[in-house]
Amino acid sequence: MMNLSSRASSSIPSLNMVEDFSYTDEELIARFQEGDEQAYVELVNRYRDRLMSFIYRFVNDMEKAEDLVQDTLMKLYTHRSYYRNIAKFSTWIYTIAGNLAKTELRRKKRHKVTNLSQMGFEEQEYQLPSVEPETGETAQSHYAEKQIQNAIQELPLHFRTVVILRDIQELSYEEISKIVDVPLGTVKSRINRARLQLQHSLKDFR
Amino acid sequence: MDRYQFEDLVSDYIENNISMSQRKQVEAYLEENPEAKQKVESVKQVMASMKSMPGVSTSAGFMNNLNKRIAAEKEASSVVKTARSFKGYTPLMASLSAVVVVAVVMLGFEFMPEGSSQATLSPTMAEQQLDDLPEMPAQTQDSMLAESEDDSTDYDGDIPVKSNFNDRIQLVGDKRP
Repeated sequence: MMNLSSRASSSIPSLNMVEDFSYTDEELIARFQEGDEQAYVELVNRYRDRLMSFIYRFVNDMEKAEDLVQDTLMKLYTHRSYYRNIAKFSTWIYTIAGNLAKTELRRKKRHKVTNLSQMGFEEQEYQLPSVEPETGETAQSHYAEKQIQNAIQELPLHFRTVVILRDIQELSYEEISKIVDVPLGTVKSRINRARLQLQHSLKDFR
Repeated sequence: MDRYQFEDLVSDYIENNISMSQRKQVEAYLEENPEAKQKVESVKQVMASMKSMPGVSTSAGFMNNLNKRIAAEKEASSVVKTARSFKGYTPLMASLSAVVVVAVVMLGFEFMPEGSSQATLSPTMAEQQLDDLPEMPAQTQDSMLAESEDDSTDYDGDIPVKSNFNDRIQLVGDKRP
C-alpha cells in the first residue's frame, strides 16, 4: 500500500506515522479529501477489521465479507467528496458497509444461492493458524460462537443490523440511529426485540 | 406490569436506562415471576457472548487486492477522461459551443436591418432595380443643396406666448379668491 502514500499531494504535508493516533477520523478524511492518500491508508488500517467483523456477522460468508469490505473502502476512495463533516466518519462508513451488505443479501436471496452450511471451509483460511491442537474449551468456544452466529442469521435484517452494531461493534444507540436512519426509540425497540429473539433461539443450546 | 410491558423494558433494565419508578416496577415483577428473572439472566448472557465473540480480520492479501483495485480505478478513470475529449473538448463543451454559435448566427439574422438585405443582391438584380428608379433631373448634388432655401432653423413668424394657467388652477385648501 506504500505506493499509494507515495502519490500523496506534495502541497499537503504527509502524515507522520508516529503521530497517527492524534488524528481523528474526521481529520483524516479531510486530509484525504485534500489529496493526502496516506490519510486514506490510515483510515483503511483503522476500519478494515472492524468492517470485516461487522459484515461477516451480517452475511456469514468470509469471502463475500472481504469483498464487501473492499467495496466499502473503494467507495470511500472514489466517493470521498460525498462525505460532509456533519456526521461522524464512522457513521458514514458503517452506513456504506451496511447498505452494501444488505444489497448483497437481497441479491443472494433473489438468486437463492444461500448455503450457510458451506461456511466452514472458507472460514479456516481467515483464522489465525492454530499451533496447538484445539482443547475441549476452545472447541466449545468455537461451537458456541457458531451457534450464536447461526442465531444471528435467523434474525430479520432490520434486527440483525442493529444488534450487531450494538452488541458486537459496541456503537452507541445514537450512532446506530444515524447509521440505519431510523428514530432512536425504534432502534432501542429493535435491539431489545433482537436480543429476546436471540435468547429464545439459544435457549435450547444453553 | 404485564409480560409485554416487562419484555419492552428488558434491555433498558439491563443497561440501566430506565427511571427509578420503572426500575422498581420491573423488580417487583421479577420477584413475582422467577421465569422472567431467568429471562433477564439469559439475555445478559447473550449480550456477554456476543461481546466476547472473536474479532474477524481481513486476509493477508487484503491490502494488495485493494491496492490493485485502486490502481485499476485510477487507470479506468483516466482512460474515460481522455476518450471522452477531442483536442481538449468534451462532448458537453462541444455541444454548448455549437449551441452558442447557432444562437449568435440566428440573433444576427434577427437583428439585421431590413434594408441591409439589399446588400446581398446580385449585381444583375441591383442593375435591374436601378433601372426601375424614376429619372432624376440632371443637376449636381451641390446645386441641389444651394437652391434649397428652406432651413428648418429659420423662423420669421411671432413666437407664441406661453399661456399662464396659474389663475385657473385652484388647489384644495387654496384660499385665494
